[in-house]
Amino acid sequence: MTTIHLKNGHVFDPANRVYNKKKDVFIQDGKVVKSLKKKSDQIINCTDKIIMPGAIDLHTHIGGGKVNIARLMLQEFHNNSDRDYDLTADFVPSTLKTGLQYIGMGYTSCFEPALLPMNARQSHLEMADIPFVDKGGYALLGNDDYLLAMIAKGAHQSEINDYVAFILKASQCIGIKVVNAGGINAFKFNQRALDVDEQSIRYKVTPRKIVNVLARAVYELGVPHPLHVHCSNLGVPGNFKSTIETIKAAEGLPIHITHIQFHSYGDNGDRKFSSASAEITEYLNKVPNLTCDVGQIMFGQTVTMSGDSMKQHKNHKHAHPKKWLCMDIECDAGCGVVPFKYKDQSFVNALQWAIGLETFLLAEDAEKIFLTTDHPNGGPFTSYPHLIKLLMDKTFRDDLLDRLAVDIKEHTILKDIKREYTLSEIATMTRSAPAKILGLKNKGSLSAGSDADITVYDKKLNDIEEMFAHPSHVIKDGILVVKNSVVQDYIWGKTQVVKPEYDPSIEKKLDKHFKKFNTIGLSNFAISNDEMSEVIGSDVNENECLRKRIS
Amino acid sequence: MPKISDSIDYKDIVCPFCSLHCDDLKLKIIDNKIYVKSDINESCKDKFERNNSTSINTVSPKINSKSQSFDTVVKHSKKLINESNETLIFNASADVNIARELIVSTSKINGIFDHINSETFLKNIDIYQRKGFMSTSLSEVKNKSDVIVLFSDNILKNYPRLVERVLAPDNSFSVKANKKKIYIIGNKKNNIKQSFKKDSRIEYIDFNIRDTSMLIESLKKKSNKTSIKDNIFNEFLQRINNSKYLTICWATSELIKNVNCYNTISSISEYVVSINEKSRAACLPLAGNDGDVSNIQTTGWLTGFPSRIKFTGNYFEYDRDLYHGNNLIESNNIDLVIYVNGISNKKLILNKKNKNIIIGHPSTKYDIQPDVFIPCGIPGIDYKGLIFRTDNVVTLPLVDIKIPTYRSAQEILRRILN
Ligand SMILES: [Zn+2]
Repeated sequence: MTTIHLKNGHVFDPANRVYNKKKDVFIQDGKVVKSLKKKSDQIINCTDKIIMPGAIDLHTHIGGGKVNIARLMLQEFHNNSDRDYDLTADFVPSTLKTGLQYIGMGYTSCFEPALLPMNARQSHLEMADIPFVDKGGYALLGNDDYLLAMIAKGAHQSEINDYVAFILKASQCIGIKVVNAGGINAFKFNQRALDVDEQSIRYKVTPRKIVNVLARAVYELGVPHPLHVHCSNLGVPGNFKSTIETIKAAEGLPIHITHIQFHSYGDNGDRKFSSASAEITEYLNKVPNLTCDVGQIMFGQTVTMSGDSMKQHKNHKHAHPKKWLCMDIECDAGCGVVPFKYKDQSFVNALQWAIGLETFLLAEDAEKIFLTTDHPNGGPFTSYPHLIKLLMDKTFRDDLLDRLAVDIKEHTILKDIKREYTLSEIATMTRSAPAKILGLKNKGSLSAGSDADITVYDKKLNDIEEMFAHPSHVIKDGILVVKNSVVQDYIWGKTQVVKPEYDPSIEKKLDKHFKKFNTIGLSNFAISNDEMSEVIGSDVNENECLRKRIS
Repeated sequence: MPKISDSIDYKDIVCPFCSLHCDDLKLKIIDNKIYVKSDINESCKDKFERNNSTSINTVSPKINSKSQSFDTVVKHSKKLINESNETLIFNASADVNIARELIVSTSKINGIFDHINSETFLKNIDIYQRKGFMSTSLSEVKNKSDVIVLFSDNILKNYPRLVERVLAPDNSFSVKANKKKIYIIGNKKNNIKQSFKKDSRIEYIDFNIRDTSMLIESLKKKSNKTSIKDNIFNEFLQRINNSKYLTICWATSELIKNVNCYNTISSISEYVVSINEKSRAACLPLAGNDGDVSNIQTTGWLTGFPSRIKFTGNYFEYDRDLYHGNNLIESNNIDLVIYVNGISNKKLILNKKNKNIIIGHPSTKYDIQPDVFIPCGIPGIDYKGLIFRTDNVVTLPLVDIKIPTYRSAQEILRRILN
C-alpha cells in the first residue's frame, strides 16, 4: 500500500486537543502513523490547507425500504436534462450518488438511523452499494410486538437485554433506535396519538416505560452509542415538554435525542407555534449523558421519510406534491414517506429554520450536539456546507433572516445570539464527538493507529461554504479518493457493527415465536458476517463494547 | 468442498420460485439431486425436483440450436453485441445480485434495460407516484388483519401457499385466528378447486373481477350495484364496516388483463385510504413471480427508477415509453435482445426479426430458437443470492443447496461483455 505524507498542514484534531496546529500527518497501510521510515510515495503540500479527520454523519437516511420508496415516488425530481452520470435528486440520491456526494464533501462514515430488523437485508444491500464511505445502522425497536408483549408481561430487564443484543447481532447494527416509542404500534390498533405517559390500548405500556427499558438495555449491554430516540409528538406545537419528559425517562442513563429541532416547539403566541429552543438547550447544557442532533431544515423541496407512520399519516395532508405512502411493517415498525417543500413564506417553516439554528447556537458544548439535517427530512445532506456557514458567520445568518419572505423576528432570538462557531467546534461536532458517541475507536481522530480517513480543505478559499463543499483531498482507509477536488476510483467501505453478548436461550424462545407468528423463520431473519461480505457485499467491522455486560 | 455423492439435509430453505418465497422448506440432497421433504403442494415440489432429470443437467450452450463449446458461444455472443446498434438487456427473472449485474452490464454496452413484467408492476408504482397509498406486509396481515378481501381468479395457482401461510393461518398474535374472515372474490369454482385445504373462515364470492371498481364503488356508497346477491353483499359490507384492520389484496398480473387496470387498483387504494380516516385498513398488492420486486428495488436504489432505462456514455435516462422492452421488440426497434432468466418457468416470446441471446436456467421455455442459448444456474439452488418477497419488505437469503451444473448468470454476463 502506498504511503502518504500530508506536509505542513493546519491540523484540527479535537480528539487529541490539537486545534489549528502546524503539523505533518503520515499514512501507511490505511492507518495514521507517527512517522514514515522511508520517503513517502506521495507528498501533499498542505501549507495552505486545513487537515481534519474524515467527517462522520451519525444520522442520515441513506438506505432501506423507505428511502427506495421515496426514490421511486419522486422520479420527476431526478433531473433528466443534466448530463452528469447520475441524475437522481439530491434529496433522494441513488446509492452511487450518495457515496460520490459524501466523499466529495469529506465525509467518510455515515449511519442509517432507522434500520428495521425485518428490512435489514435491504438496508445493508443499499448501503453496500454506496461507494467510499463506511456505514452502519441503528436497529429500530420499541414498536415491535415481541418487545411490547415482553414489557407488558413484566419481563425481567436481563431478558430484554438478551433480546436487544440478539437484534443487534442478527441485523448487523451498531446501535438501537426507538421512534415514537409504542406509537407506531398503537397506530396499527388505530390510536392516532400517544403521549409519553399515555398507555397504548393494546399493550397498556407507555412510551416512558419503553424508552426506559431500552435505554437501560443499551447501557447494561455496554453498547457505546446511547439509545437513539425520535421522541413522541413529532412536529406537534408544545412538544418540547414531552421531549423533556422523554429525556427524563432514561433516568440519567445515556440518551441521544435525534432531530431535536422537530421536538423543540412551544405553543405560545397568536399562531400557537413558538420556539422552545431555549428551554431545550438549557436542559441539554445542564444534564449529563444527554446528546442530540439537530435536524436543521433547509428551504426547498425535499421528502420526509420516517418510521413514524402514526405522525406521517397525519402529515400526509401537507404533502407537496400531493402523494404519499404509509406502511405497516412485519409486526416490527412502519414507515411513512411524504414529500414536502419548506417555504420561507410559511411562518411555521421559517420558524423551524430559526429554531434549528437557535438550538445549535445555544448549545454550549460542541461534544453534545451534532450537525444533521436528518437527511432528507429537513433537507439533503448536501446542504451541510451551507449550514456550517450559517453557524460560523453571524452576518450571513442575519442577512438570511432579514431576507425571509415572512417576518419572524419577533418570534426568534436568533439576532440576539452573537455566537459564531469556530473551526475547532465544527471539527468537534462532525468528527471527534460523533466517533466517540458511536464507539468508533479508530475514527474521528488523527492519533497513530487511527483509520486514515482524512479530509484536507483549501484554506485559501475565503468562502467557508465553498471550502466545506469541496475539500481538495480526501483520504479513506489510506487511499487518496479525492485529489484536487476530483473524485478518483471507487473503493468500498465497511459496515460498522457492535455485538454485545447474550444468553443464547433467547434464540430458542424467539425461534418458537417466529415459527408461530412470523412469516419467515429465525434462521433466515439473522444475517451472518459471511452473508454480509459474500452475498450482500460489505465486510463487517466489529467494534468493542464499552465494558462487559452488567446484567 | 462437498462431493457430488454427499447426502445433505437442509431445513429452512427459501423457495426462489414464487414471490411469497416461503422459507420453511426441508430438502434432502442425494447424489446432487434435490428431494423436497416438506408436506407442500406438488407444484411447489416440482419446481425443485424437475432440476434432477438428466436432460436438465446436460444442456449445452447453443448457437442456432447447435451445441457448441462455452468459449465459442461467448465469442459469438460478443460478435452479436458488437454488431448491434441498440441492445436491450431484458430481465426475465433474477434475484438481487443478478439484477445488480444486469445494470452494470447495460451500462457497459450503452444499452437499454427493462424487466419483462414492467408493464404490470409500473401500475402499482403509479399509485404512489400520483396519490396516497396505505400498504402492509405479510406478517401484519397474518397477525393483525381481521377481515381480508382477495380479488382473484387464479391466485392459489400462482401463490400456492398464500392462504395457509398468510391469509388464514393457524396462529395469529393480535386477533383470534379463528375469528378471521377471508373473502376470496372472483371465479368461485376455480378458486375452490385450487384451494389446498377446506377452511370455514374463507368465503368464496363468485364475481367477475373486471367489475372490481363497481364493487368498490358499491361498498363506498353502501349500495349494491353489482351482480352479487344483496344478502351476500350486505353481510360483506357489514364485515368490512366492523373490521378493525381490513386488508385488500390483489395480483396486478391478473387485473392487467382489464383495460382499466390502473383505475381498478386506484379505486381500491382510494377506498382503503378513506377507511383510514377513522379505522385501519391497508393494501397488499401481490407482485409477479419473476423477481419483479428484486428488480424494482435494485434498479431503484442504483438509478432512482424501477426499469426502462437507457445508458449513454456517462449518463442514463429513464423513458417509460421509449425504453419499454416489449414494445421495442414488437415494433422491431431493437437489434439484439439479451434475455436473462434465472428463475422463471414462463415462456419467453421472441421476435425473430431481432437477434436473441438467452442466458437462462436449463428448463427455460421459449417459442422460437434464439441465436444463442447459454444455460445458467438458479439462485437458490445452484448459487447463493438474495430475493425480495412480494411485500417489498423482507429480503430472503437464497442458498446454494447443490453443486452447480452451470455457470452463474453473473459470470456469463461478465464473460460476454468484457
Ligand atoms: Zn431521521
